[in-house]
Amino acid sequence: MSTFIQLLINTLQIGAIYVLFSLGLTLVFGVMRLINFAHGEFFALTAILIAMQMGWLLPDAPFWLQYVVSFATALGVLMALSVVIYQFGLSRFLGDLSSGFIFSLGLVLMMRGLIGQIFGNYPMTAPPLVEGAIYVLGGAISTQKLLVAVLALIATGGLLYLVFRTKLGMALRAIAEDQEAAMLQGIRYKRLALYGFLIGSSLAAIAGGLIAPLQVVLPTMGGELIMKAFMIVIIGGLGSIPGAIVASFLIAALESFGSYFIDLPVVTIGVFVMVAVLLVIRPQGLLGHVVR
Amino acid sequence: MLFDKLNLLFLATVAASVAYCLAVPGAFFVQVILWATLAATLGAGIRFVMLVGELNIGTSAFYGIGGYTAAYLTTAYGLPFGVALVAAGIAGGLVAAVFGYATMRTSGAYFMLISFAFAEIFRMLVVESDFLGGNNGIIGLFVSVEYEPYFAATVVAILATLISALAVIENSSLGKSFIAIREREEIARSVGINVLAIRVLCLVISSVVIAVAGACSGFITHLVTPNDYTFMIAVFALAYVKLGGEEHPTGPILGAILLTLAAQYLISFGAYQQVFFGTVIAVAMILLPQGITGRLRDLVRLTAKRTARDAG
Repeated sequence: MSTFIQLLINTLQIGAIYVLFSLGLTLVFGVMRLINFAHGEFFALTAILIAMQMGWLLPDAPFWLQYVVSFATALGVLMALSVVIYQFGLSRFLGDLSSGFIFSLGLVLMMRGLIGQIFGNYPMTAPPLVEGAIYVLGGAISTQKLLVAVLALIATGGLLYLVFRTKLGMALRAIAEDQEAAMLQGIRYKRLALYGFLIGSSLAAIAGGLIAPLQVVLPTMGGELIMKAFMIVIIGGLGSIPGAIVASFLIAALESFGSYFIDLPVVTIGVFVMVAVLLVIRPQGLLGHVVR
Repeated sequence: MLFDKLNLLFLATVAASVAYCLAVPGAFFVQVILWATLAATLGAGIRFVMLVGELNIGTSAFYGIGGYTAAYLTTAYGLPFGVALVAAGIAGGLVAAVFGYATMRTSGAYFMLISFAFAEIFRMLVVESDFLGGNNGIIGLFVSVEYEPYFAATVVAILATLISALAVIENSSLGKSFIAIREREEIARSVGINVLAIRVLCLVISSVVIAVAGACSGFITHLVTPNDYTFMIAVFALAYVKLGGEEHPTGPILGAILLTLAAQYLISFGAYQQVFFGTVIAVAMILLPQGITGRLRDLVRLTAKRTARDAG
């Protein structure tokens, strides 16, 4: 029973990170009709910036304050970078799937090379935010993991509120549904696409920031995550927000329980086979519509 | 007009390379020619699937399937080079048929994502497989000693033939149905084209060629490891296509030659090589959306128009 609870909490924590990350990917696709391969690099860069700053920016402050400050600066850097990438690059490829993808592959190479050169290709760690564990129904859960899961769920809730309850969110959804009709209604597409991209990128950055104190930070961690996110958005359907949420927790559960009972690589390969079979039956994903 | 000249230029380059490889088999530049030939085949192969409108990131997996098939058969059973190449092509084609049957129902973004996942899964499978040497890979792919002087020339000739075969297929009626499917799938279907079958066939043809190239790559380096076949192979292949231009079959070849030569120079820059390739891809996408051959064609047309206007 206690193992089960632990695995469940683990699912919640991993799944919450996957939700944030893949929601960003799917949101950018919905608004810009392109897949940003550099999404994973945004995630890794934020985690690296935080791990690097902690212990150096405000050496005497408590850990939580260091974390908040370095999280904020990392997020700021990522936003500035996103604006530059959008203005000089991605905005030229709006709606052009293959060109946008290839351009973002170029960005991945540039960013990976530069991250390796500037920060070094070695693992870094951020100090834990809170120590100790909480006991739930006989299972011990590290307080830190629980905190991260809760923060990630709060961020997801914030995004859902933004997308489904605000005027900006309505405009973004309108563009995702029918760009031309949205423009006829007076929505400024280029500007809204920028907002959509910034929101999507910041979700990757928040996911990276939340993972930083939990695990060893590596420059390659973005590449590993984006493959999982690709599977998630295929299962959930590209552009579908509920689909991404359901699929994230599905993959997280499979990984969390699977790696306990079997081996993690076996699970990942199994997930791929599952996705391939799903494509034969439902090429548009579980909750997706046909995207042309 | 321009493209006819490019075809001639391609044939001349192949003839010169084969002659050079036969004349000075041990020279360093022979290695450069081999790398450029592999790169050109990768570019031509990934471009071939673009004819039906798909970006196949799984190209790297088919390259690896070719490399590993050849490596396993030669080290475990001592099969000769020629048989290993054929076996690699068959293996690549079979896997492509199964993979394509499942994934070619999707298109655009979904195919891109699933083919990327396939590239990563292939790498993981190899790392997990002990009989393929796991992380260390397989070492010891050699051609027989008496054949060694002809090896490079043979590889260039075989791969150039395969690239030409792809171009011939592109100009055949099969190639026309590829493009029909890319441009208007419904119309292609309405005139009785079996869209799924033709799309799978396109992937299979491309993968056979890519797998043979992968087998050659194994014999060139004498070893195969999981890290030789990451999705970066597909990224580089796309860079060749985008820099050279995707409209004409010689585009990726031009891109492959230019970037291979640049890479030789850039090896001294170490890790910045990656940054350089990334920058080339990103900048080429912005400044040369049609690639070099596309830009050349526009220039030729523009000059022709100007001359006509000045004359009249």
